[in-house]
This record gives sequence, C-alpha cells and structure tokens, in this order.
Amino acid sequence: ISGLFRNVVGGKLLTHEDLEKPMRGMEEHLLNKNVAREAAIRLCEGVERSLVGVKTGSFQTIDATIRAAMESSLRKILTPTSSLDLLREIQSVTSPSLASMQSRRPYVISIVGVNGVGKSTNLSKIAFFLLQNKYRVLIAACDTFRSGAVEQLRVHARNLKELGEREGGFVELYEKGYGKDAANTAKDAVSYATQASFDVVLIDTAGRRHNDQRLMSSLEKFAKFAQPDKILMVGEALVGTDSVQQARNFNAAFGAGRHLDGFIISKCDTVGEMIGTLVSMVHATGIPVVFLGTGQHYSDLRTLNIGWAVKLLMS
Amino acid sequence: MVLQDLGRRINAAVSDLTRSSNLDEKAFDGMIKEICAALLEADVNVKLVGNLRKSIKQTVNFKELAPGVNKKRLIQKAVFDELVKLVDPHAEPFKPKKGRSNVIMFVGLQGAGKTTTCTKLARHYQSRGFRSCLVCADTFRAGAFDQLKQNATKAKIPYYGSLTQTDPSIVAREGVEQFKKERFEVIIVDTSGRHRQEQDLFDEMVQIQRAVTPDQTIMVLDASIGQQAEAQSKAFKETADFGAIIITKTDGNASGGGAISAVAATHTPIVFIGTGEHMLDLERFSPQPFVSKLLGMGDMQGLVEH
Ligand SMILES: Nc1nc2c(ncn2[C@@H]2O[C@H](COP(=O)(O)OP(=O)(O)OP(=O)(O)O)[C@@H](O)[C@H]2O)c(=O)[nH]1
Ligand SMILES: Nc1nc2c(ncn2[C@@H]2O[C@H](COP(=O)(O)OP(=O)(O)OP(=O)(O)O)[C@@H](O)[C@H]2O)c(=O)[nH]1
Ligand SMILES: [Mg+2]
Ligand SMILES: [Mg+2]
Repeated sequence: ISGLFRNVVGGKLLTHEDLEKPMRGMEEHLLNKNVAREAAIRLCEGVERSLVGVKTGSFQTIDATIRAAMESSLRKILTPTSSLDLLREIQSVTSPSLASMQSRRPYVISIVGVNGVGKSTNLSKIAFFLLQNKYRVLIAACDTFRSGAVEQLRVHARNLKELGEREGGFVELYEKGYGKDAANTAKDAVSYATQASFDVVLIDTAGRRHNDQRLMSSLEKFAKFAQPDKILMVGEALVGTDSVQQARNFNAAFGAGRHLDGFIISKCDTVGEMIGTLVSMVHATGIPVVFLGTGQHYSDLRTLNIGWAVKLLMS
Repeated sequence: MVLQDLGRRINAAVSDLTRSSNLDEKAFDGMIKEICAALLEADVNVKLVGNLRKSIKQTVNFKELAPGVNKKRLIQKAVFDELVKLVDPHAEPFKPKKGRSNVIMFVGLQGAGKTTTCTKLARHYQSRGFRSCLVCADTFRAGAFDQLKQNATKAKIPYYGSLTQTDPSIVAREGVEQFKKERFEVIIVDTSGRHRQEQDLFDEMVQIQRAVTPDQTIMVLDASIGQQAEAQSKAFKETADFGAIIITKTDGNASGGGAISAVAATHTPIVFIGTGEHMLDLERFSPQPFVSKLLGMGDMQGLVEH
C-alpha cells in the first residue's frame, strides 16, 4: 500500500479531498485480505470520519496517520466486550458455588455452521482441549443427515479416548444413528450426560445453507430442546463475502432472545495473510471470535491473538 | 443461485447507462464503477477486477467514439465479452469414452465437496450407460470411507476402499487396477482435502496421481470461496494440472466470483455445478449460454466472435 499513501508530511489539517485517494487504497488493501466489501467500506468510512479535520502529527504522513487509525479500529472491533474464559464458565456450571444455590449439571456447547466448514473437526479439537483439562466429555452425534457423519465422530471419539485418558479426562460418544430428529437426539444426550455426570456435552450438528429456510428454522427448536450454554458457529477463513450473510442468518436463527455466543474461524492455515473473514463476521454481528482452527489435528486450535490478527491484516 | 445477483446488477448498470438520454463519459465511468463494485462483492479477484475495468475502458474508448456509432451496442458487447472471458477459457474438457476405462481423479481444498460430488458424477455417467465405480483414496479424514460407502450404496455404485491401509496411493492403485480388470468404464478416485501451504499434502497428491495416471483430474471448488481462490487454484494447477473445475454449493447465497476467478487464473473450464446435498443435485455447465442468460441478453449471442 505504501505507494498510494506517500504524501504530505507533518502538521497538516486533513480534508476529505486529502483522504479520498489513500482511503480507496486502504479499502482495496482490505479487500485483498478477504475482508468483505461491506465491512471494508464501513471500516474505511469510520476511519475517514475520525480523521477529517484532524491535524497530522509532525513528521507523520497521511499514510501513517490512516494506518494507525485503521489499526486501532480493527483492534477495537476484534476486542470482545466480555470475558471469554470458557474453562471458568464450565467450572461455574459443573461445580456451582454454594451461594448460587444451583445444582450441578453438564455445560452444553453446540456447534453450527454451513456445509463442510469444519464443525465436526473443530468440535473434536475442543473435546481434546477439555480432556487435557481433565473434564468428562460427552460428544453428541446430532448430524443425523450427512453420510458418514456418525462414523466420523466415532473415529474421533476413539482417538480422543486414547489421547484423553492419558491426560486424565474421559470421553464418550452419544449416537442414535441417522434419520432421527436432531433436536430430540440432542435433548436425550443432555439428559444422559446429566445422569452419568459428564461435565461437558459437545453437540455436533449437520451443515446447512444459511439461505435454506427449512433447515435454518429447525435451529430454533434445536436450541429450545438442547438448551446450550454456548452456541458456537464455525466460519471458514476461505469464505469471501458470503461470510457476512452466514454470520447474520445464523445469529438470527435461534429465536427471540437467543443468539450466537462466538465464532470459531476454521482453516486459518489455508489463507496465509488473507484472514479477513474474521473481520467480516465480527463486523456483521458483534459476536466475538472464541477459537481459530489452524490445521487438521487435535492440537490445531488457538484463541484469537488480536495483535497477531491486526498485524497480518495491515501487512 | 451463483452469480445471479451479480448478473442482475451488471445488467441494470449497463441498461441504465444505455437508456439514459445523455450517454456521456461521466455516466460511462459510473457504469464501470458499479460493475466493478458488483464484481468485488461477488468475490472476483481484486486484480482481475482492475484488469477488467481497464479492458472495458480501452475497448470502448469513450473519448474517441465516432458520432455515428451505436454506443449502446458497443458497450454491451464490451461488458459481455469481458465476462465471457472470465468464465470461458476456450479449453475443451475431457469426455469419457465407452468401451474403455476412463480414470477421473478429484482434488481440492478441505470440505469443498469432493466426496459428495464424486458420487454425483459417478451416478451421472452411470445413468448415461457408462459402467461407473468409485475408489476412496482418502485415508486421512475420519469416516471418509464410510461416507463414500454410504453414498455409493445409496446410488448403487460399486466402490473400493480400505479401513486399514494408510497409504492413499496404494489404495488408489489397487482400486483402479481391480476396476480396470473388471472392465469398468468410469473410475472415479476421491482424495483427501489439501491446501497449498502444506507441501506434504501436495506431494501426496502427486503420488496418488502417479499411481492411477488419471485421464482427467478435476478440481472441486466451493462457490463461497473468497480471495484465496486464485492462489490455491493456481497451486493445484501447477502441481496436479487439473483439466476441469466443478463448483459446488451453488444452491447457497454466494455469488461464486472466487470460483470464477479460479477459472480465469488457471484457464480451465467449469464442467458441472453442484446444486444441493442430494445425489441428483448436479448440473452441466457451459460458459456462454450461462453468461448471456445471466445478463438477460439472449440476443447477445450474435455479437460474440467465435
Ligand atoms: N486445513 C484445515 N482443515 C480443516 C480445519 N478444520 C477442519 N478442516 C478440514 O475440513 C474438512 C471438513 O471438516 P468437517 O469437520 O468434516 O466439516 P463439517 O463442517 O463438520 O462438515 P459437514 O458436517 O459435512 O457440514 C475436513 O477435511 C477437515 O479435516 C482447519 O482448521 N484447517
Ligand atoms: N448445499 C450443498 N451442500 C453440498 C454440496 N456439495 C457438497 N455439499 C456438502 O458439503 C459438505 C462437505 O462435502 P464433502 O463431500 O464431505 O467435502 P470433501 O471435499 O470431500 O471434504 P474433505 O474430504 O474433508 O476434504 C457436506 O456437508 C456435503 O453435504 C452442494 O452442492 N450443495
Ligand atoms: Mg460435520
Ligand atoms: Mg472427502
């Protein structure tokens, strides 16, 4: 981007005309990072608004001024407004304090998203993470539609059993085969987990197009039946503009008063510096990124390091 | 459907311009701007959009237009040609022949829809009288063989795979050899998802390809892919030299511009599109009727040079 921004140095009162061309360069830069056009334009408008009438610092180019403003606005939208400490939240449900007068119950996480984005794989990675923390985890196979979905989780559960028990955790698969109603299966899995004193239930769901009315509307019943503590949506880093609508439609699918609790941005290892999808999805909904998927193995799960993300986006 | 919104917007931009009473340069620039915005929103590669902008400007060359010339027709044709150029690489895809074995290998990024689509394609050929079968050379993904097996069983298509062999090129070779011996005509080999950043996975793809020497390699691309489409598809092209593209999940909302950019980047034609999760959700694709339908310009066919 540098070429476009090289101009006036220091102590300049910025006008719309000064900013117009370099802002267009910045917009194109974001598009190149796979930020959806809608999000890129809005981010740029925000930055421009904040800079018109501002005096550039001494020895500061317009270029550097815009960069700094964009960096801070990216940092701001990516920073969650509340704590994302999953383990602590689980703890508060599985070992409630006496004062809360709650009885212990399993913590329920369900994973949703469009087809093939990495729901089942990242669910298994979360299971591995929980096993490392010595939890008793029930994986519920509620994708009762896609061929091989149940067997896929069976293989993961078998692998994780071996790995996890070495770490002091315990994992089991709950499955009722294909063709069953997913909401019912989820509900049964949660009751079973309560009886068998599991700490966490991880519910896998079938991939669904966010523009498929029928499949999307079944999510409302699903949420009512499974009563998840957390609904995490997997968004794929490879996806372009569609990520905005995916995030919005899933966020609105769970009925009044219930929305997504976080995103898992998968396949970050496949996009290099083009990590714009996470900006698009957060921008569209204000929902935070809880995890990043960075590969196909159980340990390829990270929390979002905002400094890292902003650096890649601005590089 | 893929590119429909894009088509509507481009079409609107072109007809707004050509209908307006004073067709001046400013209006022309406005139209180009609107077209580029639509392309960018459809995930067409940023650089490609830049080139297209230049190209339309050059072809129409508004400043030098002779007074008598039919501006409307000229502009329509320039836009149409550029769009056709994007999706039509003028390359003939491979067509399987009866009475011999035709090996088709699927490659692509993780989760693109390879396994689902290879059964759809096997069924497509089977219903056209080819003896078709499937080989599962994905020994990595959990449940991959079960997935293929269940799909193949539903479609009544013979399949080959192994639950114990971990080397995909061995399974692939064994499966293809067996089916060749049994005189199958279309043998489709499914492989694991992979991406250019992991060299081992690309090496594995080359080994499978050597083991089965496919007549045709097909890259499967998700319609929702964004700006990575070009780099990934180029890398797959350089390593596996695929000769056709199938775009999946076109029943979604995505415009498919990323996948279209892959066509332009690799000069490889789209042969089919996937339109749903079920076995029959596969449609043939050909670029020119597609673009003219898209632009609502059935009559534009006559303008295109062959
Ligand atoms: N490179 C990479 N691949 C991933 C990642 N997460 C998942 N995958 C791969 O993506 C493919 C699809 O993953 P799944 O977990 O089956 O996706 P899904 O969303 O459950 O798919 P459906 O249930 O069919 O909708 C598999 O090949 C995974 O190995 C990731 O972070 N990086
Ligand atoms: N809506 C829709 N879904 C599709 C289409 N094609 C495939 N899918 C879904 O996309 C998901 C992934 O498909 P797979 O066939 O498993 O993808 P893959 O490329 O084999 O995945 P890996 O082997 O893990 O790389 C599944 O949920 C499929 O049902 C399509 O045309 N439309
Ligand atoms: Mg799944
Ligand atoms: Mg597959």
